[in-house]
Amino acid sequence: MATRPATDPPVPRVAPARDGGPPLTAPGALAAAASSSLLRYVLRRILWGAFILLIVTALTFVIFYAFPSADPAALRAGRSATPQLIAEIRQSLGLDKPLYVQYWRFLKGLVLHFDLGYSYQNQTSVRSELFARLPATISLTAGAFVVWMLVAIPVGIVSAVRRRSLVDRAVMGGALVAISAPVYWLGLLALFLFSNDIGVVPLLPGAGSYTPFTVDPWRWFTSLLLPWFVLAAAFAAFYARMVRGNVLEVLGEDYIRTARAKGLPERDVVFRHALRSALTPIVTIAGLDIGILLGGAILTETVFNIPGVGRYAYDSIVNADLPAIQGTVLFGAVFIVTANIVVDVLYAFLDPRVRY
Amino acid sequence: MALLEIEDLRVRFDTRDGVVKAVDGVSLTLDRGRTLGIVGESGSGKSVTALTVMGLTRLPNATVEGRVLLDGVDLLRLPGDDLRRIRGKRVAIVFQDPLSSLHPLYRVGKQIVEAIQAHEDISERAARARALEALREVGIPSPEDRLASYPHELSGGMRQRVMIAMALVLDPEILIADEPTTALDVTVQAQVLELIAELQREHGTAVVLITHDLGVIAETADEVDVMYAGRIVERGSLRSVLDGPEHPYTWGLLQSLPGATRGRRLHPIAGSPPSLIAVPAGCPFHPRCPYAFSPCSEVVPPLVESEPGHANACHLPAATKREIGLGLRTGRAAA
Amino acid sequence: MSHPRRFGPGRLVSGALVLLIAALVVLAAAGVVRAAGDSGQAAAASKRGGTITVLSAGDVDHIDPGAAYYQFTYEITYATQRPLLAYKPSSIKPSLDLAAAMPKYSNGGRTVTVTIRRGVRFSPPVNREVTSSDVKYAIERGFATSVANSYASAYFGVIVGAPASGTRSVPNISGIRTPNRYTLVFHLKRPSGVFTYALAQPLTAPVPEGYARKFDSETLSTYGTHQVATGPYMIKANASGSINGVGYKPGQLIQLVRNPNWKASTSWRPAYADQVLFKEGFQDPTVQARTILSGGADVNGDTPPPAAELQSIVSNPSQKTQLVFTPAGGSRYVALNTSKPPFDKLLVRRAVAYVLDRNAMRLTRGGEIDGRIATHFIDPSFGTYGFTQAGGLTFNPFPSAGSAGNVAKAKALMRQAGYANGMYSGPQITMVADSTPPGSNTAQVVANGVAKIGFNVKTISVTHSSMYTRFCNVPKNEPNVCPNVGWLPDFHDAQAILDVTFNGKQILPVNNSNWPQLDNAKINAEIAHAEKILDPAARAKAWGEVDKQVTQTAAAVPWLWENWPSLYSKRVTHASERWNGGAPDVTFMAVAPS
Repeated sequence: MATRPATDPPVPRVAPARDGGPPLTAPGALAAAASSSLLRYVLRRILWGAFILLIVTALTFVIFYAFPSADPAALRAGRSATPQLIAEIRQSLGLDKPLYVQYWRFLKGLVLHFDLGYSYQNQTSVRSELFARLPATISLTAGAFVVWMLVAIPVGIVSAVRRRSLVDRAVMGGALVAISAPVYWLGLLALFLFSNDIGVVPLLPGAGSYTPFTVDPWRWFTSLLLPWFVLAAAFAAFYARMVRGNVLEVLGEDYIRTARAKGLPERDVVFRHALRSALTPIVTIAGLDIGILLGGAILTETVFNIPGVGRYAYDSIVNADLPAIQGTVLFGAVFIVTANIVVDVLYAFLDPRVRY
Repeated sequence: MALLEIEDLRVRFDTRDGVVKAVDGVSLTLDRGRTLGIVGESGSGKSVTALTVMGLTRLPNATVEGRVLLDGVDLLRLPGDDLRRIRGKRVAIVFQDPLSSLHPLYRVGKQIVEAIQAHEDISERAARARALEALREVGIPSPEDRLASYPHELSGGMRQRVMIAMALVLDPEILIADEPTTALDVTVQAQVLELIAELQREHGTAVVLITHDLGVIAETADEVDVMYAGRIVERGSLRSVLDGPEHPYTWGLLQSLPGATRGRRLHPIAGSPPSLIAVPAGCPFHPRCPYAFSPCSEVVPPLVESEPGHANACHLPAATKREIGLGLRTGRAAA
Repeated sequence: MSHPRRFGPGRLVSGALVLLIAALVVLAAAGVVRAAGDSGQAAAASKRGGTITVLSAGDVDHIDPGAAYYQFTYEITYATQRPLLAYKPSSIKPSLDLAAAMPKYSNGGRTVTVTIRRGVRFSPPVNREVTSSDVKYAIERGFATSVANSYASAYFGVIVGAPASGTRSVPNISGIRTPNRYTLVFHLKRPSGVFTYALAQPLTAPVPEGYARKFDSETLSTYGTHQVATGPYMIKANASGSINGVGYKPGQLIQLVRNPNWKASTSWRPAYADQVLFKEGFQDPTVQARTILSGGADVNGDTPPPAAELQSIVSNPSQKTQLVFTPAGGSRYVALNTSKPPFDKLLVRRAVAYVLDRNAMRLTRGGEIDGRIATHFIDPSFGTYGFTQAGGLTFNPFPSAGSAGNVAKAKALMRQAGYANGMYSGPQITMVADSTPPGSNTAQVVANGVAKIGFNVKTISVTHSSMYTRFCNVPKNEPNVCPNVGWLPDFHDAQAILDVTFNGKQILPVNNSNWPQLDNAKINAEIAHAEKILDPAARAKAWGEVDKQVTQTAAAVPWLWENWPSLYSKRVTHASERWNGGAPDVTFMAVAPS
């Protein structure tokens, strides 16, 4: 999980008007101008995003061949195969062609047919496998997001408002622990404590119990509770600290002083004024984190045996399954690029000072 | 009885670097419908005094002593909820920088409506109507459209008008304006000051005008208090202070005013404002005073009336002070 | 994780071949070797029903039965397919499955005739009866590159007309004849002593050509995801026969349901359970083990419980009975590359064989519980089929106290080899090891061991499959030491342990399994001789001799005859496959009536 500074909004570009004269920017005209320039901005970003995806796929190819991974032809041929058989398989899979030819074929398939190829491992279509696993990863990500926000926001606010109190110190200290704990270890701990087959306190379904929502909604929910909390732990801690920091910063702003001077109750000052400003950058960072998680929360999916995109990525790397590796990397990249664009556009709606 | 009476107000802040004596024994009165100008450099304690009246200095590291009586009720002793009911309703404040003092993410109309609904139980529609009326009253053109504007979409002058409208919408008895024109263009400054004066005439609001610039209060104030290092060093009616200033700091302020000495060179006051942690002993102004003599560094000069309604805190003999002060008017440079 | 099945190509056998086959038949009938802890199961009607759950970390190697070549995959393949011959769990000799009678050899061993049962039917959507041409097609498709069966050339390349290399489309092998619907006649290029074992491989399980051809003509055959079954179970499929997303979710689940067209009267498989679930993706071995102990699942499919769990189970009287150990049948060893210095010198290799602390190496896999320390290559489970003849437990050319290594002796040998004060003084040596435990830990012990006689080791850590396919299997890239290798026989004939692994003629440029690259003329000749022998006693004696000689070259240092631990839940009967290294036979497991 990357740490990054809060994204600053682009500098607002509004020329000052002469006082008393007709305002430079009537609200209606502003909205119309904004939507067309916004559209152009989104288009630009999408084109740029496509270019980035191209680079990502090319890099994946290079990395796969440059680093000593297993030989897919030999793996497919098996342990007793003759060298001739391995050579023939290499040829039939097109692995003997130069890199750029292989890459070109991959691109053609992708762009013309939206085809990601077939897994060397089990001949299933990579695309259908990814889409089949996507709901699990989305379930995991969305649920964890809800949990970590529900925890981080109140905790961060309380900590900020009661700055330097015992509550604040205890909570921020706990947050530091949660951030430092490795996800895999936390997951195992959760299983050994709470899973209903191997846990000390049998409470919730354990590893491997994920069922799709369409099959059994209740079990879907209960099987995801432990993974949600484990995945959310580090994020909640990180975001609580961020919320605390942002709220503290905002509470020192002049308009908070004005709000108090107007005689607003403290509750409104914090929740209507401070929070609105403090949460805006956090929502956008959360969007980026969601984009990354949708590429697959590998560790959580592994320890809880959730059949998501992350597990698929791990399995494909271990099996030197190049089409699957390409597919998962591309998927992840698409989510991240999209998340970036969405987040920037969202910022324009959240902060009226931002113009593209 | 005066509307607002401040008695020996002292405000201290405990900081890492030491105790900051922001306000060190300030007493003043404000009558209904009158305009009081408080003049001083930054760090003189004028803003802290205003904020304390509003109850906005109730912080963990602040110690407030003295009395602030609004119609006889000591605001410093009021519980938080009661104080909140007064804030914005009976005493309102307008701050220096309207761009940072308005919430950037909420529309202007909403912010005014919020101010109304904090104190009165009326519908959204009725509140909007009143907000609209308030905007019209402060002279904002096409106020129906302006209600939906965000603060950054308005010019500086319009923003300040909005702040004034927001402050006056509930018809408070006192309006405090803390450096209301400092962040504005010169051409706009006069307009805003005129607006405040006009509104005062119409509503009968008492106004406290806080500024570092004598020129700001020269047209509008009834009384003037000059503050330095957390204390009042001269007070009196506008004319008595401007025509016959009796404190070396006031002389300095007048001399550093462009146009006050008609064609003469500007004389900024030498030196810089004192540290409020280590306030100079005796008269806090003495390190910068060209007239300082032996008692100034040892004894704190009391605020003493030289004539009815005109007081100053300086060790110099009265005659000397009068002479120098009047001399300024006739263009004779100070000694 | 367990090794896949390994086997080298059969060799020429002359003359009294029939004697060997007769001996095999007798042995099969006698059911000589019995698995430890396997109680006889009476096929009680009350045991029918229920669901068995098998846990695994990884997926099968190939879901296509014609390409499957992995201990874990066989748990599914043999439950859903009927090769000509198959194994009962407690037996190491094949029994009849699809074949109606044991293969008959004639024409000096060059002609093999097999008749198949009548009334065996394919599962839906094919449904029809199995005929001999379905077996012919099944074997032929193994030679196509779209299926790419690994052992096709090795076992079936001896058939007349078998292609020398993989073919683009499924070839027609002229040497496989089908004179009638229920008879197969194989014409071999030369007699083969291990052909009977070949007929027990999944490649001989019938595949309907009309249905499968279109799948096999793709670049990578998709028959696997559309397969039909002949065994008691089938992978759950939809109406058109596709299993993907239905009974087969790669990396997640394989669901076996009853094959409606299977008749119990034609098979010795009891098939008690109604359903078998293979739940994959359980990466953490402790979680797996505890889930089985708590009853959340029934047996481990591909992952042994970790050493700590094994210790605690064995010391717990109520859990002890749930654990079954089966000899894996092969050995683990450290291969020393004899093709380049310093391990081209016999004395240096022997020094290494002395210095290695085999006890510490065994501890990295769990200690005593994991098996016996190996002193040569033929595993104890072979008994009088080579193990005893190789000296049994007493043959130990490089002994040390507690098998902890003998540094003094090692140094003495180094001095003999010309290194003053017994310490190696040459350049750094390379080792390619597993990047994950326990392999990485074992490699560490090896590195520490050879350091005692002065070797400075550079270790390259890669994934298991990289280690094999990029380094140890490719002589050109092979480092000085491959510490994490081992070999499991495809069947219990000593040839399957020693031929492809130590025969100089079997060294290949790619996919080489003779990791030490041992090319000793005397041993090569011994092997060539032993392959031809038919008399079981003489055969065992000859292969025992080969084992001894190979061990003495110290080209590879054996250190473990592994036991495979199978952990069963309390509610199921045990059924460990002795022929498949201890993997569970789900067709023999029953859920206790609750």
